[in-house]
Amino acid sequence: MVEVLSEPGSRGTTGGALLEVDNLHVEFRTRAGVAKAVNGVTYTVDAGETLAVLGESGSGKSVTAQTIMGILDMPPGKITGGEIRFRGSDLLKLPEDQRRKIRGEGISMVFQDALSALNPVFPVGWQIAEMFRMHRGASRSDAKKKAVELMDRVRIPGAKDRVNDFPHQFSGGMRQRIMIAMAIALDPEILIADEPTTALDVTVQAQIMGLLAELQRDSNMGLILITHDLGVVADVADKIAVMYGGRIVENAPVHDLYRNPAHPYSKGLLESIPRVDLKGQELYAIKGTPPNLLDMPTGCAFHPRCPYKRDNCVTDVPPLNTVSGTRGSACHYWREVIDDSAS
Amino acid sequence: MGRYAIRRLLQLIPVLLGTTFLINYMVWQLPGDPFAGRCGQRPCPDAYVNAMRSQFGLDQPVLIQYWHFLTNMLTGNLGVDFNQVPVSTTLGAAWPITIRLALMAVAFEAVIGIGAGVLSGLKRGGFTDNIVTISTLILLSLPVFVTGYLLQWMLGVQLHVVEPTVSPEAPIDELIVPALVLASLNMAFTARLTRTSIVENLRADYVRTAVAKGLTNRRVVGIHLLRNSLIPVLTFLGTEVGSLMSGAIITEGIFNINGIGGILWRAITGQDYTIVVPVTSLLVLVYLVSNLLVDLLYGVLDPRIRYE
Repeated sequence: MVEVLSEPGSRGTTGGALLEVDNLHVEFRTRAGVAKAVNGVTYTVDAGETLAVLGESGSGKSVTAQTIMGILDMPPGKITGGEIRFRGSDLLKLPEDQRRKIRGEGISMVFQDALSALNPVFPVGWQIAEMFRMHRGASRSDAKKKAVELMDRVRIPGAKDRVNDFPHQFSGGMRQRIMIAMAIALDPEILIADEPTTALDVTVQAQIMGLLAELQRDSNMGLILITHDLGVVADVADKIAVMYGGRIVENAPVHDLYRNPAHPYSKGLLESIPRVDLKGQELYAIKGTPPNLLDMPTGCAFHPRCPYKRDNCVTDVPPLNTVSGTRGSACHYWREVIDDSAS
Repeated sequence: MGRYAIRRLLQLIPVLLGTTFLINYMVWQLPGDPFAGRCGQRPCPDAYVNAMRSQFGLDQPVLIQYWHFLTNMLTGNLGVDFNQVPVSTTLGAAWPITIRLALMAVAFEAVIGIGAGVLSGLKRGGFTDNIVTISTLILLSLPVFVTGYLLQWMLGVQLHVVEPTVSPEAPIDELIVPALVLASLNMAFTARLTRTSIVENLRADYVRTAVAKGLTNRRVVGIHLLRNSLIPVLTFLGTEVGSLMSGAIITEGIFNINGIGGILWRAITGQDYTIVVPVTSLLVLVYLVSNLLVDLLYGVLDPRIRYE
């Protein structure tokens, strides 16, 4: 498996990052029409780096992740363009057999709702052990020992006694830890966490995020953290990609974006976080509704909701303008936005 | 689970008492005198009828009759039939045949039904799916006696592929066609149930997780998907074992098999209630026990089920 991947891909050695999503397009062909879920998404993640992908439901953040994993339902999903390079070779061009071996070994994923994502009829230890048995050919007893070690590592109390318990016998936080244990079992280089804390209560959220950050530090993996919760990402992420209507509308190092966002949508998101010092005032909300993927607005997808809207926003799709260094904003008037946020 | 099993077993007692009482009471209330027609063309002499009545306790009140039945059953004494042949001899020879037939039918249901269901569920809308949907619809709309007489006439009488009727020893090869007939309805239903269950679970999150774990397609389907999809199917197959036994009445009648069903069939038409009562009571017991076993099995199949 490693031999195959270390060969340079057809044109894949340019960027050099561990995982590069390059101009990815994904659409869903439904009876109601073609839903353009992902429209030219580009991002990179390196070893030891945390990328937070931020966006509301339907922004294409999960679809991008599923395409990277190769677990997109096709049909109705269809990849209409772009590349996903992992260690330089394009995953989308690999035969299914090699693709499968990368799942779990190279790139692995934590899902949102661990209760439904874990198989209800098998013990959790068995499900973790399956990784070692199927990928590494480990014996049942060896694999089970490793499963207990992993459960210890994600700090499940009494791991040894709970290895034969079933998913429904655990609390939500513990279930998510098991999901994480399963995902990191084979020391993947990239871990994708798709809203890992959405289904959990706030104190448990913090614990899970702490655990993810710690595991990432220990093993130097690249982490893609998909979320719609700005509060979650501030502490752990290195950089942020904000998605809207299947596009990245802003990408920036995490502190730059928090300090002064360069896109009206990210600005709106930041302003809609409740703050103690603004207690008593009405909480800001971005007006309007998310775009209909079957019938995207012309020009900039955000224009119907944008306070900075001008005439050309309705007609011209804004490119991802370079703001500075690695920062980009897909807004015609990003300078104005950034000035407003700085003041 | 142990306590649950014991409680369920205790619940069987009142159910058995109620059903067997009804069977006893109703069978003897049926119109027509079972002894009147037993002497050929002439009416039976009163002496014979009275002797038979007193032998089988029909001159006593219903509750006393039922009490006799209970004590006889509990001591394993099934008595004699109207021809003075011990009922236990007749049934002892018949049970193995019926059980063999029922097991073959269950095997057909499980193998063919589940196999067809999985194939059609995995490729929904495909060629196999259409074939399965149409053929199960045909099977479901045909009553067992139609399927039975049709296959007997076609394979046995016209094509001579099999013997039209089964010999007294009922060897396995001669039971294949009767077992298929007996299984036909449940087989079709099993296929449909499996298909629905597969289609439903195919989009489940845990299947997506299994794919994301890098498992082979075969393992995702054969272990993760199938293990969950078969829970309702196995439950159905289990509960239907009881009805399979009673369904055997028609099938065994058609193919002249000397099983429990065949004996019951002839006993009903010959109005020999000394056989009808114990056999139907035993069928009730089989039905109740197989239901209990399914309920216990359900907890093994699905760990989320708790027995309080």
